[in-house]
Amino acid sequence: MAALSLQGVSFRYPRGEEDVLRDVSLDIGSGGVLGLLGPNGAGKTTLISILAGQLRGASGRVRVDGSLGLVPQELAFYPMLTCRENLRFFGAVQGLQGGRLSQRIAAVAGLARIEAVLARRAGELSGGLKRRLNLAIGLLTAPEIILLDEPTVGVDPQSRAFLLDTIRSLAGPGRIVLYTSHYMEEVQAICNRVVIMDHGRVLISGSLDEILHDASGVLELRLRSPLPPALAVDWRSRFALQDDGGCRYRLHLCQPGALGQALEAARAAGCEPIALGYGRRDLEQVFMQLTQRSLRD
Amino acid sequence: MRVLLAFWEKEWLALSRDVHGLAVLFVMPAAFIVVMSLALSDVFKEDSARRTGFAVLAAGGPKIAEQIAGHLAGEGWFAAPAPQDEAGARDRLRRGDLGAVLVVGGDFPASPTLTVLADPALSPVRLVEFQQRVMGLMLGTKRAPAVSLEVIGYPRGGRPSSVQQNVPAWLIFGMFFVVMPMSALFIVERREGTLARLASQRVPGAMLLAGKIGPYFVINLVQAGLMLAAGVALVPLLGGEALVLPARGDLLVAVAAATSIASIGWGLLVAVLARTMEQATVIGGVGNILAAAIGGIMVPRFVMPAAMQELAELSPMAWALDAFHAVMLRSGGLADIALPCLKLILLGAALGAAALWVHGRRRTRGLPA
Repeated sequence: MAALSLQGVSFRYPRGEEDVLRDVSLDIGSGGVLGLLGPNGAGKTTLISILAGQLRGASGRVRVDGSLGLVPQELAFYPMLTCRENLRFFGAVQGLQGGRLSQRIAAVAGLARIEAVLARRAGELSGGLKRRLNLAIGLLTAPEIILLDEPTVGVDPQSRAFLLDTIRSLAGPGRIVLYTSHYMEEVQAICNRVVIMDHGRVLISGSLDEILHDASGVLELRLRSPLPPALAVDWRSRFALQDDGGCRYRLHLCQPGALGQALEAARAAGCEPIALGYGRRDLEQVFMQLTQRSLRD
Repeated sequence: MRVLLAFWEKEWLALSRDVHGLAVLFVMPAAFIVVMSLALSDVFKEDSARRTGFAVLAAGGPKIAEQIAGHLAGEGWFAAPAPQDEAGARDRLRRGDLGAVLVVGGDFPASPTLTVLADPALSPVRLVEFQQRVMGLMLGTKRAPAVSLEVIGYPRGGRPSSVQQNVPAWLIFGMFFVVMPMSALFIVERREGTLARLASQRVPGAMLLAGKIGPYFVINLVQAGLMLAAGVALVPLLGGEALVLPARGDLLVAVAAATSIASIGWGLLVAVLARTMEQATVIGGVGNILAAAIGGIMVPRFVMPAAMQELAELSPMAWALDAFHAVMLRSGGLADIALPCLKLILLGAALGAAALWVHGRRRTRGLPA
């Protein structure tokens, strides 16, 4: 069974002024897709690079149990070679040969749907096809641990949807898929576990459901028309009402039963609720809340 | 106009921060001016400062030899310590230690026999000069003897031609230029993340570098074959003199192989050091040109002053040229090429090891490999 484990891992680049990873501890078991999120400079790519063996010199303990395949952020292949030549090269350097190599090339080409362009030079492909070739190379050895570092950067929506479907299909028992991205909706769509990092630290780690669950009791409400003043005064005293403007309000509900009462009262006052959020946040909210809004670059 | 000014400003800022670009613009021409001015200084002087060693062997004994040498010395000819015997003289000529040896047989000055043994790499002008100085010795005697001439180690007689100087010289220059494609691809590999991907696939650094040795070794040998073939077949087609290949083709291959090892070692080191093509051009390209200028590739060593000839010994291109000349001009054997080839091989190994060390150190320290 594949497993990834980091215990107290810290890392600083030579001549760097501060650690880019600080005492990171994670245990990643197999099954599903783990989303690794963080703003620019959070340490995601450094973490992936350490796991992939590209960076040495990290303190702490890193354990990688299982064969590993990396799909880096860069289009890491030879543009002057054909797709097939690239696949043959990267397969061969990982020990694949003969019939097994041909079989794996056919398999990953089929998975990434690049069969039709195998004879074309990689440098001549469209952005989406290049990304698919990049993915295919990372899957050549059928690795148990797949590290995907922003694999959908710069592709059109169709290619992105295809890549996400493919990545989702890779998840299975006995396999770890670690996925980093800046696109929250992607992570929310394909990951079942999430780790959010910033400034080299793990801020939160857990299942997607746990992380999106909001136990604060805050009801976010958008109404068709503004609250009548009387109701606003009532809610201010009962639910600590906050007016966010644009018919958007925030109420602090002490008990779940209060949700129905509040909605009923709004309807009775002629203010039909047109959107509400309660008990569940979206990932972007969690991310922004944890990492703050300040620019990082 | 504002757009144009903005472009100019951008270009200026970019260039002012590019040390290597500035080096190409300023340091390289300066280095060329210095090196080429020194190397060619004698060619443009009437009073030639270049010096060629000669020795005299006289049947009458060392005193007579010394006396004759005293007469012959001057105008760029200096008397070197005389070899033990004619065999020793031939050996030193074959190695290129001496430019000429005068063998004086019979009774000097009454009825001597005079034979000039010459290094085939000696320029024809210098050779004629020496013969004239020898004939000058006998001026005033009743019956001036004929001066026979033997060029050592050149089996077909005659003098080394321009093609025999230039083909090996520019072949060596071309072989060392593998540094450019080697470093160019390495830079692309680093930039595109291919090296990082290969590192994640647990490909050792030594394998990455070794993977470049084979193809470029073959390319170097093909270069050697084609350049020699051009000297044999193409140059005469264009009206030049044909290159005459030596009988020992195996020694030519050995010299080409040793040269290739040095050039590949150099290429690997530049590849791991250079982060951009500009850097590769400066380190590799300009380094090659300077080594060629110093090492007798661009300017034959025999026209250089003695100090520059000594400096030439530092250039691996000079070692390679020595080895090629030993085989092609002097019909030398394995013993004659052993030292220059060993130097080339050791240099190649040292440069390759340095490349591996730099590459490994970068990976260990978390820098882009």
